[in-house]
Amino acid sequence: MSLLTSSCYLLPWSKPAQIHGYLNFSKHSKLLRQECTTVRCCSSRSWQTPRAQHNYYELLGVSADSNAQEIREAYRKLQKQHHPDIVGQKGHKYTLLLNEAYEVLMKDDLRRKYDESINQMRIRLGENNTPLGNSTWKGPLRPQALFVDENACIGCRECVYHASNTFIMDEARGCARVKVQYGDTDQNIEVSIESCPVNCIYWVKREELAVLEFLIQPQPKAGYGVFGGGWERPANIFTAAESFKKQLRRQAT
Amino acid sequence: MAEPAYTVASDSETTGEEKTYTLPEIAIGIDIGTSQCSIAVWNGSRVELLKNTRNQKIMRSYVTFKDDIPSGGVSSQLSHEGELLSGATVFNMKRLIGRVDTDPVVHASKNLPFLVQTLDIGVRPFIAALVNNMWRSTTPEEVLAIFLVELRALAEAQLKRPIRNVVLTIPVSFSRFQLTRIERACAMAGLHVLRLMPEPTAVALLYAQHQQQASHENMGSGSEKIALIFNMGAGYCDVAVTATAGGVSQIKALARSTIGGEDLLQNMMRHLLPDSENIFKSHGVKEIESMALLRVATQDAIHRLSSDNNVQVDVDLGNGVKISKVVDREEFEEVNRSVFEKCESLIIQCLQDARVEVEDVNDVIIVGGCSYIPRVKNLVTNICKVKELYKGMNPLEAAVCGAAVEGAVASGINDPFGNLDLLTIQATPLAIGIRADGNNFVPVIPRNTTMPARKELVFTTVHDNQTEALILVYEGEGNKAEENHLLGYFKIMGIPAAPKGVPEINVCMDIDAANVLRVLAGVVMPGSRQPAVPVMEVRMPTVEDGHGWCAEALNRNYGATLDLVTIQKKA
Repeated sequence: MSLLTSSCYLLPWSKPAQIHGYLNFSKHSKLLRQECTTVRCCSSRSWQTPRAQHNYYELLGVSADSNAQEIREAYRKLQKQHHPDIVGQKGHKYTLLLNEAYEVLMKDDLRRKYDESINQMRIRLGENNTPLGNSTWKGPLRPQALFVDENACIGCRECVYHASNTFIMDEARGCARVKVQYGDTDQNIEVSIESCPVNCIYWVKREELAVLEFLIQPQPKAGYGVFGGGWERPANIFTAAESFKKQLRRQAT
Repeated sequence: MAEPAYTVASDSETTGEEKTYTLPEIAIGIDIGTSQCSIAVWNGSRVELLKNTRNQKIMRSYVTFKDDIPSGGVSSQLSHEGELLSGATVFNMKRLIGRVDTDPVVHASKNLPFLVQTLDIGVRPFIAALVNNMWRSTTPEEVLAIFLVELRALAEAQLKRPIRNVVLTIPVSFSRFQLTRIERACAMAGLHVLRLMPEPTAVALLYAQHQQQASHENMGSGSEKIALIFNMGAGYCDVAVTATAGGVSQIKALARSTIGGEDLLQNMMRHLLPDSENIFKSHGVKEIESMALLRVATQDAIHRLSSDNNVQVDVDLGNGVKISKVVDREEFEEVNRSVFEKCESLIIQCLQDARVEVEDVNDVIIVGGCSYIPRVKNLVTNICKVKELYKGMNPLEAAVCGAAVEGAVASGINDPFGNLDLLTIQATPLAIGIRADGNNFVPVIPRNTTMPARKELVFTTVHDNQTEALILVYEGEGNKAEENHLLGYFKIMGIPAAPKGVPEINVCMDIDAANVLRVLAGVVMPGSRQPAVPVMEVRMPTVEDGHGWCAEALNRNYGATLDLVTIQKKA
């Protein structure tokens, strides 16, 4: 019935591993054809949230930090395979999605909004980035976000008691971290911050959050024979974040 | 990683001798201009323009009514100029098709040497040719159809196969209603319209093919190139900005106007004979003859001014009216200053809409009959800050060649050398929306939206317990609804009783790659996910004639009782 439900069904490749490569679309083309002969109505679209239905980056087969040139090339390549002028009427729906994705990603303001809505920072986070450590957002995005400095955390679980929808105890690491931003009422969050005996819960800027959450995850340490090895993370997470950003900027120029 | 995106079914099938004509039908490209027309086809390796029996590739667009059988410029052996004088020749139909008699373009056509009669009430004008001292009525569709039949016969004779599918080039400024008239003319001629392609986008496709071929030769990857295409013919002036890479031509913006060589001609005629309109008003046999004489002489002068700095115009219009005058190029440019200014503003607007800086334009292409006028060349090169225009395109043949290429691409023809590995991504030349927020035009699909396009807006009721809503679909750029072109209307019924502003009326517009517009409208009540009444889907345009009347009648009968307002998007 709806464009969106059908396209979610059409585009089932949401595995992170596939994001970076171009998509192999041939195995989905049969589904696509079936869908497009039967479906016409679009009317239910607006009474679902328009965003977050598909990942535009995945649709175009580009990474989230790709630049305009890469997006444009991917868009044209896919258009050439799916445009109705080439494959006939069955390409209509897919091309509509492509156009929508392209329109959003090519305009800086729309792309920024979209990135926020899918909670994906456009920074290169390395290959062994697991989404496990990242917090999600409940409700609208706010300028401030919660962050637990796991170096300082003593694993007292005080914050988890007071705001169990926001904080979670990471048993493997033995410390607490943020699961859902603003998962509880502001008051409960305030109480849990107050209750922390080592004051390791911080309010940080939203833009900083992705970097901090990435850096706080223990990274494998290079080993030298029997020495070294194991896991490590920066001793001071905030200065590490600063230098990481500086490094990114240098790469960009 | 550069894999060819096209596939060749089997090498033995496509290589070897000429197998073109046994392949699935290749649509032919037709460019029906206001004054000239041509026809071309992809012959398996390149575009070939078809010639008529007089060995002409570019034919005049006119139809002469004589005795019983009308004949067009494709087959006719007689000289155009001579026939003009008799009043039996009808031309400039592309300017008249699908227009109502309140349209300024129709009024400007009243001093053509045949009958264009207006009643100024918003109906189609009366057009007639003088045959044996009788006004024989006709319509623009009929004239075009006669013409298309001749073109079709020409192509069938040369290609030795029946012709059915065609790609026609059209001016950017054609409304959807005018497009249906073109389709009607084609249907009358037994032709099926595969695509109606705005002229500059056809040129853009040809340019994409050139770039593709050049990059194949250089073995380069073919970086993105931005081209500005300026197309000015006898009836229309269009501008397009296109970004081309890897055989894909992406139309970034289109700009359009109904100015052209005809305006230059009429301004010049007025300049040579200031009172010409009054003299020719009665449309007697004598007047038609002098009108035609003046037209031929003026046209000739304008042509000569493209190479000479001044020309001598000597013409005896009869009835003691004689013109003997030297006209120089500055004079011509001064008389037509407003036309050239309009051209300039079109280019500037198109660049702005495309968000392209002049410096980023790689190639400037200028096509159409007016491209030979020095002033036109100058204004384009000045604005685009280029010294040289793009070479390698015949200004008169580019559009029809592009249409032929599109005909081959859209017919699913593959070329073993990748010459048809092409695509045009079109953009909508005009905004489409509905009347809402009082008498305002609220675009749902804005101008220059990439096609295929699907957009929607949510509206709501303006009265408590409003159970019906009228959806009036317009096309155009005006802020007020009536400044735009009415495409159709329908009523949504059975809206559940609720205070004003509560029901959500969802209007969705869908344009597919063949430029078919569908309008969908549904009602949702807050808290529900399902439409409250069945969704309505209407293919537009539905209005046949008398657009102005329809809107007025609807307004008189319903006033604001069935109005809608836009729901502001929650940021």
